[in-house]
Amino acid sequence: MEKLYLIARIADTRVALRSRAINSVVTVGIPVEVPGAPPHVAGLFALRSRVFTLIDPHVVIGLSPVPVAAGQRVIVVDVADHGYALLADAIEDVCFIEAPETRVAGKLLPGWARVADGMIEHQGASLLVVDPSHFITLPALKAA
Amino acid sequence: MVRLQFLGRTGTVIDDLLNDFLAETAEILAEAGGALVAWEADPADRAQLDAIFRLVHTIKGSSGFLALPRVTALSHAAEDALDQVRRGNHPANAALVTGVLGIIDRLNIVCAALGKDGVEPAGDDSDVIAALAEQDSTTETGYDVAGVPLRRDDDLEAELQSWRSIRVPLPLLDSVMTGVTDIVLARNEFARMLRDSGASPTVIASFDRLSDSIAGMRQSVSQMRMQRIDKLFAPLPRIVRDLAQDMSKKIVFQTSGGEVELDREMMENIRDPLIHIVRNAIDHGIEALEDRVAAGKDITATISVSARQSGNQIEIEIRDDGRGMSPDVLVAKAIASRAITAAEARTLSVKDKLELVFRPGFSTAAKITEVSGRGVGMDIVKANVEKIGGVVELRNDEGRGLTILLRVPMTLTIISGLMVRAAGQYFAIPRGAVREILLESGDTVRIDRVGGGELATVRGEQYPLLRLEKVLGRETSDDDDVDDRALVIVRPGQGQSYALSVAAIHDHEELVIKPAAPMIMATGLYAGTTLPDNGRPVLLLDVQGLVAAAAIDATETGRNHDQMAAAEAQANAARNAAQLLLFRDTNCRVRGVRLSVIERVEEVPASALFESAGRVQVQIGDEIFPVHTANLPEAEGSLKLLRLFDGQSVLCYPIAEVIDIVRLPDAVQPSAAPGLIAGVVLVSGEPVELIDPFWLMAQYAVLDAEAALNQPLCRLANDHDGWGGNFLAPILRSAGYRVVSDKDVVEEAPDVLLCLTDDGASCAHVGDEIPVIRLRSAIAAAGPDDETVYRYDRQALLDALARRIGGGRA
Repeated sequence: MEKLYLIARIADTRVALRSRAINSVVTVGIPVEVPGAPPHVAGLFALRSRVFTLIDPHVVIGLSPVPVAAGQRVIVVDVADHGYALLADAIEDVCFIEAPETRVAGKLLPGWARVADGMIEHQGASLLVVDPSHFITLPALKAA
Repeated sequence: MVRLQFLGRTGTVIDDLLNDFLAETAEILAEAGGALVAWEADPADRAQLDAIFRLVHTIKGSSGFLALPRVTALSHAAEDALDQVRRGNHPANAALVTGVLGIIDRLNIVCAALGKDGVEPAGDDSDVIAALAEQDSTTETGYDVAGVPLRRDDDLEAELQSWRSIRVPLPLLDSVMTGVTDIVLARNEFARMLRDSGASPTVIASFDRLSDSIAGMRQSVSQMRMQRIDKLFAPLPRIVRDLAQDMSKKIVFQTSGGEVELDREMMENIRDPLIHIVRNAIDHGIEALEDRVAAGKDITATISVSARQSGNQIEIEIRDDGRGMSPDVLVAKAIASRAITAAEARTLSVKDKLELVFRPGFSTAAKITEVSGRGVGMDIVKANVEKIGGVVELRNDEGRGLTILLRVPMTLTIISGLMVRAAGQYFAIPRGAVREILLESGDTVRIDRVGGGELATVRGEQYPLLRLEKVLGRETSDDDDVDDRALVIVRPGQGQSYALSVAAIHDHEELVIKPAAPMIMATGLYAGTTLPDNGRPVLLLDVQGLVAAAAIDATETGRNHDQMAAAEAQANAARNAAQLLLFRDTNCRVRGVRLSVIERVEEVPASALFESAGRVQVQIGDEIFPVHTANLPEAEGSLKLLRLFDGQSVLCYPIAEVIDIVRLPDAVQPSAAPGLIAGVVLVSGEPVELIDPFWLMAQYAVLDAEAALNQPLCRLANDHDGWGGNFLAPILRSAGYRVVSDKDVVEEAPDVLLCLTDDGASCAHVGDEIPVIRLRSAIAAAGPDDETVYRYDRQALLDALARRIGGGRA
């Protein structure tokens, strides 16, 4: 369980997410908009009679928001007893990675530096290991 | 309703608390044991460590106010050890975990005995505490479980049964609730189908019966979960008392609004935050006695906790009159603890600075006390409150106190909601806040644009108009038919109302409300989310929050006049700007006086007041003024005086404190007879006695200013030896005459001439019209016709004066 990772593309970047941080991966329809909410809130959707808040990782990283397509896959996580879902560009794989997590080498964009926990080697590529709970708050709100 | 809690309560409350504590502790210990083992497996897992630390901290906190010294000491030791790890002073290793587990086992034993006997068993825990401390000081010792018995869950469960109260687990209540929820949703759908299918009246009648019983059941389930907030407040007085004693602080604790009802789950979630906040207030907020004196505050501090219902939210306000928070100190601490960099700190607003206190691991305490100051607290408070869809607000008044406002939804249960449409999507409005629904195009509605704002007039009553799309920052959807637009008259709270314009009204439904994510609640626009039977989430509007977001004044007072008259009156009022100073007098009555007659407010030592000639006077600087009071103040210390000034003389009016300055209301209910009170006015709904400065000044001014103009003038003639000036003049002046001597050059003709020598000739030059009184130095009169007056016969002299000029005041 410890070594199980979800490999996904979020905010135009391939990343690895620790599987124990993730509740499930589902597809969504058109979410319900939340007027007045912070820009990274892409809307609300219901799943098994629970309401989840959809987060657009693009905005968290500092990119411009991407519209939600029907049938898009999202990564469902629970943070502080609230249900959230991260919009994923693509879900690639769930796999065991034996390699250890290493410290982030090199300089990342500030948006990524905030959400990345480390790096991991997988099939000849270095992936950022990100903590989904870091996507819930925007940098500006984080300071508050 | 404010009432003082009597500190030190009866045994039954403590019994309840003890039972709650035991049940809670059993859960926590079970959880902590598991968490510790998991953490041991992965010592780098900071979140796990923090979780364990909080669990132990909670036990310590609860045991502190129940006076369980063994439990407190044990949990303190464990907390201490874990804190060392948190601070990086000590590595996490198996030995430490063993030591902490040893403590947890001992806590289980103590709590089990406590549950059986109702008292903490006597015993010595220094062995396990020392064992932990030893692990603390050495580094790697490996597994060496010396004499610590392993924990056995079944022991504990056997003991649980002997406790008297029944705790229904919330999940069970929740499942009942969800069941009812599903029934309600199914009924809604069924009702719609019945309507559409045109079923026979008998079917509809029996469906209605089913419907009624479902409604009744829903009601009881909601009640099952509701509890008076009193229960939440019950442990607080004890906590305040004990802490205040420990820290030698004097604190008055007040609670109000205990009758407000709150969902049980909400209650569970705000219990700990509330206790944390109160403890923080005592520990950090309230200054030491000498600091309070230095700051000019009352030695006895006040902490008040009040609850009130506002729409479908409950506001719990914890107010103290301590030192408040200093944004700069917070920033300095945050930089010192490397939570933020100095560069980041410069970009923070005051509000951001204050909110640093919500950072995990943040502590404002200069030193760590047993009470608080380990940084457990505000981050947990915020997390707990947000978990249930609440908001924590800080209102800081540096130097004068801090108010923390917890706003939580009243319930997670079902409310009746009105579904409306705006900007192409649906929103829900709590039905309880809706007073009326009207079509915007209807005959009874008139909408006026006034200075950029909009006003709706419904049957002569005016409401500020909010367009929902505008408040939410959206465009009006093109699909909406203008004829569908409707006004919802919303009453968010007592004495407030406004008209909310929406694109269309859908229907109303029983809705199950769940809290929305913190960042959505933080917008202040929404009170939660709900899932109607079509499966698309709908946001529940926060009817109070909309008022704030639109920045309108929704209060009803003074609204229902004719519009023109109201505007004119307002303009007039602004021009005249008669302001009223509200104060509390020395008998604690709230009174008011026109601000314009107040010269200033003086604060004088009580010793500056003195009594003379039956009147209380005050010395301010080198002047003496009359004071409107019957008695000298009994208390030492200082006294506040309102200094009334009528352009000529000053009168001081003693007060306890100044409350506020408000606009003088136009409507004054005059009092029947002239007197100190000119009448009564209503200020924010409370009657306030209005002081009549005219009457007041008249009481005191009569002896000074007015009399000075009309006093008869006596001229002393032939006062060669100064007897007249030295002996006679003071008597005459106190009798109400003005006195001049020969040497004074006065234009005004004297009313009477006093001749101080027996030699009448020397006074002849004055003229005949002016009466003359001659004084003689001999006691005996020279003869029966002698009209002179013996100069030491005061009464005869005054009589003579009164006869001559028909005036004066004897």
